[in-house]
Amino acid sequence: LSGKMCSSSNSIIQAQKLVDQLQIEAGMERFKISLTAADLVQYCQEHRRSDPLLTGISASSNPFKDKKTCVLL
Amino acid sequence: MPCTWVMACAYAPSGCAVACGGLDNKCSVYPLSLDKNENLAAKKKSVAMHTNYLSACSFTNSDMQILTSSGDGTCALWDVESGQLLQSFHGHAADVLCLDLAPSETGNTFVSGGCDKKVNVWDMRSGQCIQSFETHESDINSVRYYPSGDAFASGSDDATCRLYDLRADREVAIYSKESIIFGVSSVDFSLSGRLLFGGYNDYTINVWDVLKGTRVSILFGHENRVSTLRVSPDGTAFCTGSWDHTLRIWA
Repeated sequence: LSGKMCSSSNSIIQAQKLVDQLQIEAGMERFKISLTAADLVQYCQEHRRSDPLLTGISASSNPFKDKKTCVLL
Repeated sequence: MPCTWVMACAYAPSGCAVACGGLDNKCSVYPLSLDKNENLAAKKKSVAMHTNYLSACSFTNSDMQILTSSGDGTCALWDVESGQLLQSFHGHAADVLCLDLAPSETGNTFVSGGCDKKVNVWDMRSGQCIQSFETHESDINSVRYYPSGDAFASGSDDATCRLYDLRADREVAIYSKESIIFGVSSVDFSLSGRLLFGGYNDYTINVWDVLKGTRVSILFGHENRVSTLRVSPDGTAFCTGSWDHTLRIWA
């Protein structure tokens, strides 16, 4: 393969970049899942009432409700 | 549009323009007008230029900047007016298929998913990848932030949806069933974040209880793959688009 010397220094550069990136990611401050999960649950509960797909819409304000009962012939 | 496949489109926050793109490798912005006599195609502005197909695009908080993801493995931030590239995001090892911007309260980050099975979280200003998650077993077709911005969900060809907590930096839930074997094309949360809707390639929509990890409901109606899904801004309904040429609204 021509350029083999070039490609090995390229792969060193690539590997160095990967190591740098992993070090950045490793340095991140992480919180315990027990705490963050509780926050997710709390968010759901706090916003429960403002979620129409969860609480449903009253029949009087639902523009798509059936107007008549079904008649089976 | 001068290309065979449009793969991405997005409304500008003001509602006055639409951005779209696809196999033409570009993202173009069209101003909208109710005037039937206006030749809107002539007013089209080519904003983004990638070296492969455009998979997704999204305006940032204003009409002035647009974020794109591409089959060329990169994401990029563009200035709409000048078409200038403001920031590029390198890190995916394969096509990037989807992206989602963090809800404005939580800051300048966005998440992207790709064919390398990874989901990356990026800092929009520095171009730096700040977090990366690789637990899916196949291409990631859709990513969506949880309404609070502290987590996000992803949908993949591995037939699972997963929830990742950003502050704990890990996957926290997998939404799957042995009976579900077809890929997820699109995911979105209900307003409170309690429900996760997934559009699947087996023509169904599965509704998941985010906190319990169980399926709440399965919805039938489409006659072909569900390719896209979005909950309405007021949260009263969601819409799905499908290969059966229909858009359906579910409420």
